[in-house]
Order: sequence, then C-alpha cells, then structure tokens
Amino acid sequence: MDHIRNFSIIAHIDHGKSTLADRLIEICGGLTQREMESQVLDSMDLERERGITIKAQSVTLEFKADTGRVYQLNIIDTPGHVDFAYEVSRSLAACEGALLVVDAAQGVEAQSVANCHTAVDQGLTVLPVLNKIDLPAADPDRVIQEIEEIIGIDATDAVRVSAKLGTGVRQMLHVLVDRIPPPSGEPDGPLKALIIDSWFDNYLGVVSLVRVVDGSLRVGSKIRVMSTGRDSEVDRVGISTPKKIDREVLQAGEVGWVIAGIKEVDGAPVGDTLTDAGRPAKEPLPGFKRIKPNVFAGMYPIDQVDYEAFREALAKLRLNDSALQYEPETSQSLGFGFRCGFLGMLHMEIVQERLEREYDLNLITTAPTVVYEVLTSAGEVLQVDNPAQLPPVNRIEEIREPIIQADVLVPHQFLGNVMTLCAERRGVQKRMQYLGGQVAIAYEMPLSEMVTDFFDRLKSVTRGYASMDYTFLRHQPARLVKVDILINGDKVDALSLIVHQDNAQRRGRELAERMRQLIPRQMFDVAIQAAVGSNIIARETVKAMRKNVLAKCYGGDVTRKRKLLEKQKEGKKRMKQFGTVEIPQEAFMAVLSIGKDK
Amino acid sequence: MTTPPLSLYVHLPWCVRKCPYCDFNSYEAGGSLPEDDYIAALLRDLDMEAECARGRIVQSIFVGGGTPSLFSGRAIAALMEGIRVRLAIASDAEVTLEANPGAAEATRFEAYRCAGVNRLSMGVQSFRDPQLRALGRVHSAHDAVRAYAMARSAGFENVNLDLMYALPADGVSGALADLRAAIALGPTHLSWYQLTLEPDTAFHRQPPRDLPEDDVVFAIEETGRELLAQHGYARYEVSAYATPGRQCRHNLNYWQFGDYLGIGAGAHAKLTMPREGRIERRARQRNPRTYMCQAGTPGACTVERVTGPAQRVVEYMMNALRLCEGFEPAVFERRTGVAWAKIEASVDAAVAGGLLEREGARVRPTAVGMRYLNDLVAAFDAVA
Repeated sequence: MDHIRNFSIIAHIDHGKSTLADRLIEICGGLTQREMESQVLDSMDLERERGITIKAQSVTLEFKADTGRVYQLNIIDTPGHVDFAYEVSRSLAACEGALLVVDAAQGVEAQSVANCHTAVDQGLTVLPVLNKIDLPAADPDRVIQEIEEIIGIDATDAVRVSAKLGTGVRQMLHVLVDRIPPPSGEPDGPLKALIIDSWFDNYLGVVSLVRVVDGSLRVGSKIRVMSTGRDSEVDRVGISTPKKIDREVLQAGEVGWVIAGIKEVDGAPVGDTLTDAGRPAKEPLPGFKRIKPNVFAGMYPIDQVDYEAFREALAKLRLNDSALQYEPETSQSLGFGFRCGFLGMLHMEIVQERLEREYDLNLITTAPTVVYEVLTSAGEVLQVDNPAQLPPVNRIEEIREPIIQADVLVPHQFLGNVMTLCAERRGVQKRMQYLGGQVAIAYEMPLSEMVTDFFDRLKSVTRGYASMDYTFLRHQPARLVKVDILINGDKVDALSLIVHQDNAQRRGRELAERMRQLIPRQMFDVAIQAAVGSNIIARETVKAMRKNVLAKCYGGDVTRKRKLLEKQKEGKKRMKQFGTVEIPQEAFMAVLSIGKDK
Repeated sequence: MTTPPLSLYVHLPWCVRKCPYCDFNSYEAGGSLPEDDYIAALLRDLDMEAECARGRIVQSIFVGGGTPSLFSGRAIAALMEGIRVRLAIASDAEVTLEANPGAAEATRFEAYRCAGVNRLSMGVQSFRDPQLRALGRVHSAHDAVRAYAMARSAGFENVNLDLMYALPADGVSGALADLRAAIALGPTHLSWYQLTLEPDTAFHRQPPRDLPEDDVVFAIEETGRELLAQHGYARYEVSAYATPGRQCRHNLNYWQFGDYLGIGAGAHAKLTMPREGRIERRARQRNPRTYMCQAGTPGACTVERVTGPAQRVVEYMMNALRLCEGFEPAVFERRTGVAWAKIEASVDAAVAGGLLEREGARVRPTAVGMRYLNDLVAAFDAVA
C-alpha cells in the first residue's frame, strides 16, 4: 500500500482543476497525445457547457519518481457546486490528501474554502498549489498569505505551477508523494469499500466508483450493499487510466470501478459501504446518509399526451441521479405531472435542460419551493412542499420554514452590498471576520430566500467576486401566508406561493404586474388578481388584442406568410391553455424573479 | 383533387424609388429600363411555363410590380400580344395593370387600354401630401386625382385604388378624409390596407415614430367600413371592397385557392397536379439581371412541392378564410384533396368559439373571426 496515493483536487471553478488533471494524465502517460482530449474528466455535454463536474470520477496513474520508485496515483475528481456538498464529502472520505489549487491571480474563493475545511476536518493532508503563475497578474505572495489567513494551513512552501504550460507540475508530484501519506487499512480484514459515486451505463448497468478500505474486491465474489442488505455477484472490477482497464482484484487502498449486476443507482448509493457477503464487516464505514432534496417544483408536460414519455424520461434520468426524486402530482391548472425534488436550483436547471434537450419534452416547471413544516390545529406536523397543499388558514397553528447558514466570502469593498442583500432576504448576521482583503460573513437565512436567485444576485452586487456555501440548520416558525393568483377569476394553483406576511402585499403586487407583462394580449381582456385568502391584494388587466390578422396575402406571399404564422405558433408552443387564457411558461417561473431587483 | 381555374401573374420589378414600407420584389430603376430585353425574357419564360397550362384557359391576367406603368405602351402591347400567342385567354378575362398615379404614367393609359388591359389598379395610398411624403411616395394628391381622371377618359371603367390607413400621424378624421376623397372619384374597387411593418423593409428597421395606437386603428376601421358600406363598397375580403360585380377576379382566384402561372423576376406560381395528388409552388429568380439571363431555362425557377395534406389545409384556410363569403366544403375537398371529415371537428370547434359560422352550404368567418384570422387559421394547423 506504500506506493499508493489517493487524493482529490479542490479548486474553485476556473481555477484550473481540469487543466491540471489533464496535465497529470499526460505526464504519467495515461493517454497518448492522440487520445488526449482536453479536460477528459468532464464527460457529459452539459458538464462541459457549464464547466462543472456532476459525477465524481477517478483516474489511476503510474508516476515514476526521480528516485526510480513507481507510485500508483488515484485522482478522485469531485463535483464542484454548492448543490453537491454531500457528494464532495464522500469523495474526500476516499482520499488521504488533497491538492488545494488556487488561482495565483484571483486568490482564495469561498467554494474552495468550504471544501478545504471539509478536507481538513476529515483529516486529509492539504497541499496548497498556486496555479496560473504564468499570468502577469499573478501575485503568489499575497495569495499565500490569503491561504494561511482564510484556510488556516501553512502555505509558505506552496508549489507554484502553470497547469496550462506544464511548469512545475512534475515537481508538484514529487512533493505530493512525499507529503501525502499512503492509505492505511487491513488488507486481510473483511471487505469494506466506500461507494464514492454510482452511475448508470446503458450497456453495463450500474457502475460504482469505490475506494477499498479494508480487504479486497475480487471478480466473482459475492458482495453486499450494507444499507440495503442486498447481495450481488461482482462481474467486473477495474481502474480508469482514464481508459477502463479490467483487473482481477482491487486491493485495500486502491480506487477503481466495480460492476455487480445492480439495476439502479439507488441500489448503490453514494457513501454506502460494500462488504463481503460471506464474511461481512461488523460496521459500515461512517458518514453515510440518504440525500434529501432541498427544493421541490412541479413539472408538467405542456401537452398531456407527453405524460407517459415524461414519466419514462424521469425514470431514465433517475437511474443515474439518485438525488432526483419525483412523485406523480395533479394540478387543477396544469393537469398531470410530477412533483420533483432537487438538491438546489442548479440541479433543477440541469434536470430540466436534460429533459427538454435529450428527451425533447415541452415542460412547464413551477416555481421551486422549500419544504415547510406545518403544525395543524389538530396537533399534526405536515411536510408541505407545494403551496397548493397548504391547509386552510383556520387549520394552521404554525408554519415553520427551513433556515440555513450562508457563509459568504467577499472583498471588503462589496461588503455593504452583500449585507443589504442579506437583510432584504430576511438574513440575520451571525459572524463577520476580516481576512486580508476579504471578509468572511455568516448569515442565518430562510432557505426559501436563498434557493431562488440569491446566488445570482450575490454575484451581481459583487461584480462576481463573492462566493458562498450553505448548510441547513433547522426549521423555525415564521409568519407565512399563501398568495394565490387568479386569472379571470379562476385560481391557478400552480402559481401560488408562500411568502412572509410582511412581504405579501408587495410580492402580490409585483407578481400581478409581472404576469401582466408576461401574458400576451389575447382576444379578450385578461384579469389578473393576487389574493391572500379571500382578500384581493392586487389587480392588473391584460388588455385585449384588437386583432390578429395579416393585412394582405396574395399568391406570391403564401409561403412567406405561412412561415410568419408558423413563427407565431412556435411562440405558442411554450404556452399553456387555462380555460380560454394562454399563459406562457415563463409566467410560472416569474414568481422567482419578483421582489428581488429593488 | 381537380384542376381549379387558372390565372397568370406577370411581374415587372422596377420602381422610380423603393418605398420604405414595401416588401415586394422591387428595384430602383436608375436610368433607362431594359424594356425590350425584359419583355423578351418574360416571353421565353412563358414558352416554358405554357407547357403547364396546356388545355387550360386563363381567366385573368395581373401585371404587377414594381411599377408596371414605368413600361411604355409599346412594351406592354408586345407583352400582351406575346401572352395571347402562347396561352388560351378567356374572351372576358380580367386584365389588370398596376399603375403609379403620377403625371408621366397617365399619358400611357390609353396605350395600355389599346393593348388589351381592361382594369387599372392605382397605388394612391393617401390623398394627403404629408402622409404621402412620410410613405416616401413620388406622387402628390393632386397627381392622383388627375391620373384617375385620365384613366377614365382613356376608357378604363374598372379601376381600383390602393389606400392605406394607420399612417404616421394618422387619426380617424385623416383616414376618413382619404376614404371620402377616394369615394368621390367613384372607383369600382378599393383596397384599403393597414400599413404593416413588414420584415426586410426600411420601416421595419426604423419604424416611423408617430404610428397610431391600436385603439385609434380600431376606430378608423369601424368608421371607415361603415362609410364604405354607405357608399356601396361591400367588403369581400380582409382589405378589399368593391361595387357590385366588381370584385377583383384575379385576387379572388388566389383566395379561392385557384391555380396561377407566374412569370417575371421573383414571380410565384401555383399549380395543382390532381393525378400526382400534389400542388407545386414555383418561384422565379428574384434578381432581374439573373432572371433575364436564365428565363426560359430550368435554372430560372425553384420548385417547392406542397405534398402533405396538413400543409394544403393550412394554405387553403390562409386564403379562403380571408373572404367574407368563406368557402364551400365541396370546393375545399376539390382544391385540397383532403376529406371534409378530416377538418370538420376543427370547423365545429371554431363555430362554437364564435370565429366561424355556417350558412347553408357555406362556412365563413364571423366578424370576430375576421379580426383574429391568424388564430383561426392556427386552429387548422396540423389537422389532417
């Protein structure tokens, strides 16, 4: 085991993680130049477009040190977004060390701070690496000071590299094998393998990325998933270089993939432990938990004919995304659909985009909401993830909303803006600490105020310099009410929202106003009302369109005019008919964009 | 599907100046027109096109543009003669030529009449000089009145005036003044259009600032239609009004989904092929120079086959529902080759929605249906 080094690379988006990984693969000869496609670790299209990693992956490399000794390096690539904090912690649990890659010009950002703290907490050896030292704006001394102040680790001998040019990377590997300890474990003990991540492959079924902690994982052996108690036979094991290479066995300390005839990713959940069915371990590895979605939204096919196709698409996505939850739901206004649970807004956007792109579905997604706890007058506690399901006011004793702690790191000149923003979102400041040019602040804030566009707003009021991370704290009673939207007198349940009483009036007005802007003029007047209970708090009217007719159309025009009409129709595709009124899909998300800009 | 009536459209693409609202295939003349070469090209083109019309009689001819009245009487006579040699023309065919109501053109009216043109369509647009200037027109209100008089004295009994409303700085009184001025001249036909900002026009790129609001436009239409009706101009299409028996037969043929040959730069043709069960649309080269080089060769036109029944239904509705009288189910079946049963449910839904009505054998748009024709046509999308 002495020659094995398991580590992960912690970096903020754009700080060069993928480029560095590419460079390591190149130096260790994992792929030939011709096979070398830039940023091999991010394989899904969407991941590439968004520049983020969703699934954890690993690469096993052979590094021949100048001493002549050959090391097995296992790089475990982690997801890179606040929505995926649990997956990050499991990836880190598979490692003995981590490279903290910091852009030598930009300095430390909150996301890497959060991940780095997790790494330090889990007992990993963290090696600071300054990347992009070739940039004219690079200021390694300042950044070293920042790392020491903010993260609290010694960074005096931080390695300086340029992943882009390859400068210093080989030397970095020498430091790595010296400083990061080899894995410890019992090669002859009962098998314990940590599931770092699982994904569904159309041909192979579920493939799990594992770190063997104790014992060994052998082809043909019978294994047990400890949380479910289900047994299955190991078909194949192997490593990625990043090409998939089959092996007979994965030994203690090693990282690799395993295929064991499991049908769904749920059957091999992240953080779970694999053991030997014939000689099971007494205890699973610590830290496993079932992931719970934070935000819920209704998703409905615009055309009800697509319902079955939609159900199948969700089932297929779920094969590969155990964080995605869905349950059938019926809305008076939108018909049959599903209430879907997501880790956060990014996760939701990704799912929505994939459904529309890969499965060619036309969907309406309602505004995402958090899970409220409702104490009824009968003394029951209900979990409410859909405003439409809130019991009548006279049956509610108390509504409790989820509160999170947001840790924000921001250059001091934007501090005022951030504090204003947090106050607008009902945030309560808990801590503030000056760290060099940056300020770390912690706020307690309702999750509902955070899940919408808080992150985008934070970026915009700090010109992109702030970064943040958040953790769930508790449910807490709050004065919340439901605002309903009525279109031509009919309540559209999918447009209801739960807001704080003090904001109800303003939100209601803004939402009605926004609806007026979004709902196109139709053949008759459309009345939009916002109401709390039976109390109308705002009213707007979309004036009828006087006409919709082409002034002229002759022989030569037909093809052109037909295209014009087709264009009009294209615009209507994303609209949903309510009685006689057509409401565009944006209207359902408008709930998100109100009350945030002023 | 059966073969419907046939018309001929001839396109003469030049104008003195391109108007900022115009999206037709027209070009500024600049210098002398290649009259003879162009007429020769048209006839070469027709030699080829005439093949498709074998055994069929042409019911109407429309010479449009552009500004056809830029062409001399001699050139138009040569064109008409050439057409008669190549096609069988009905003895009572309607033969229209579009004319600009300017002073120069008016001197040619008599020659056009002699050449066989029996209907003039004059692009007056407005009788108010500030509005004419805003539209970039080259003539004045006075020119228009004089040109009309000359058309009548040249023997044209059947004259259409094109008028536009919802012009820059327009209100009800201004628009009605235009209509009164037109009515006072006593034309047989009025085409009264709302100014529309069409794609690829100067107005679309930079719209005039003082266009009237929707409510004003609506008031103009309501009062204008009443005035026209009082004076015996019955509305028969979205923007067309005629005295009894003087509906434009050429345009009616478009709206009734008839066939037409089209020659000239950018001209379109539609031909029904009952045996193949399809409709062909052809478009000629748009650029006059290219057209003149290629006329008479297969390279001069592109062919689009309208094969799908769904497409035929939409195109039929786009045209037929523009007519106040609507259409008869039997004619629908003959022209599209689509069974009535395929669209009956959509028709019933539109009747229930108040956009269509049935009277005897006919199906026609209601007053509301006429206003929301795009929505009405959309209801027939993807049917059949």
